[in-house]
Amino acid sequence: MMKQLSQRLLGPVTLALLTLTFWLGMWVTPPDKVQGDLVRLVYVHPAIAWVALYVSFGTATIASALYLWKRTRSMVMDRVAHCAMEVSVVFIILTLITGSIWGRPTWGVWWAWDARLTSTAILGVLAVGYLALRRANDDPSLRARRSAVFAILSAINVPIIHFSVLWWKTLHQGATVFTANRTLLIHGIMAWTLLISFIAFTLLFFWLLRARYRLEVSRDQSRSVALATSLEMRRREGAI
Amino acid sequence: MTSTETASDLSPIAPPPSKNRSRRRSILVLAVLVLAVLALLSQGLLHSLNYFETVNEVFAHRSSVGTEVIRLEGVVEPGSINRSSNGATFVLAGSKGRRVYVDAHGSPPQLFQANIPVVVVGHFVSSTSLNFDGTQIMVKHSASYIAAHPSRVKAPNGSSR
Repeated sequence: MMKQLSQRLLGPVTLALLTLTFWLGMWVTPPDKVQGDLVRLVYVHPAIAWVALYVSFGTATIASALYLWKRTRSMVMDRVAHCAMEVSVVFIILTLITGSIWGRPTWGVWWAWDARLTSTAILGVLAVGYLALRRANDDPSLRARRSAVFAILSAINVPIIHFSVLWWKTLHQGATVFTANRTLLIHGIMAWTLLISFIAFTLLFFWLLRARYRLEVSRDQSRSVALATSLEMRRREGAI
Repeated sequence: MTSTETASDLSPIAPPPSKNRSRRRSILVLAVLVLAVLALLSQGLLHSLNYFETVNEVFAHRSSVGTEVIRLEGVVEPGSINRSSNGATFVLAGSKGRRVYVDAHGSPPQLFQANIPVVVVGHFVSSTSLNFDGTQIMVKHSASYIAAHPSRVKAPNGSSR
């Protein structure tokens, strides 16, 4: 009952929070002292990057690890990893696009080959590579195993991206929320709007993941039905 | 379709060598991936993991920098900006009074202003000079976000920002 209710509410709540973020970000929050109205992108880009790097890639990595662990091995885990990685690709691309849109007026360039941007682009290549690797393997169990190992190895890049602004000198600014000394560098309504944007985009991820997972389940079912039907047809042909 | 044709259709078919084919395809995908990652690394990180050198660092090894093209980072000194149709001249300050005189061509970014950290691409005009000829200015803004209307946002300690 509760599960059904939460599943039904996921979509509307996500849309409501995204709308709230948009309203707060565009009309309620003040402009920034330095960036002026350009600061409104802070309610979009960091939340998308959060989902791309930690939520979606993290889900894909955890599901892959659970597939490789014998006690929790199931095709459900493989399917979750696959679907999460697909959503991750979308969010990584959005991260790069929104970052570019923000970077042009603030930095003065669309792109800079600094450690943060380059490592994020590499993560995008690895995520697309994961999907390509899946298509390269026909055998389901072999595909699941190889892609799970690849996902876990690719996840090494996530902490590199996170700490790149601390380890190296980058054009990309440092952390605003997850700072080294745990001090928020944003306050008041700006901070609350940022928090709401993080929640909204996280829920959007789970909404998209659920939809993609359902699609994958129905695809698998239709494949099984198609196989059973063709076998039955061949049996009937043989009986003629 | 006759019954004879049907019988020949039902003869056993050798399964395709899917494992070998999968392996070949996987190796191909991994090879393409390695090339793509290496291409990105060569563009971004192999030259230097650090995107720029600060004014202080350049002062520490000024002789080795010479007139090579570098990305120089420092804070724009207040009162030093002189905009022109070709670009802008300004002083890039480090700590302890270290200063570099920049003559940058091209229009500066929207956020370019006094007291803001910038990264300038260019080179020193001579191996001993502190005059820097810039071809591009990039603004390196901070990660702090402060409301432009102080009365609307307060810090946790109650002070207005």
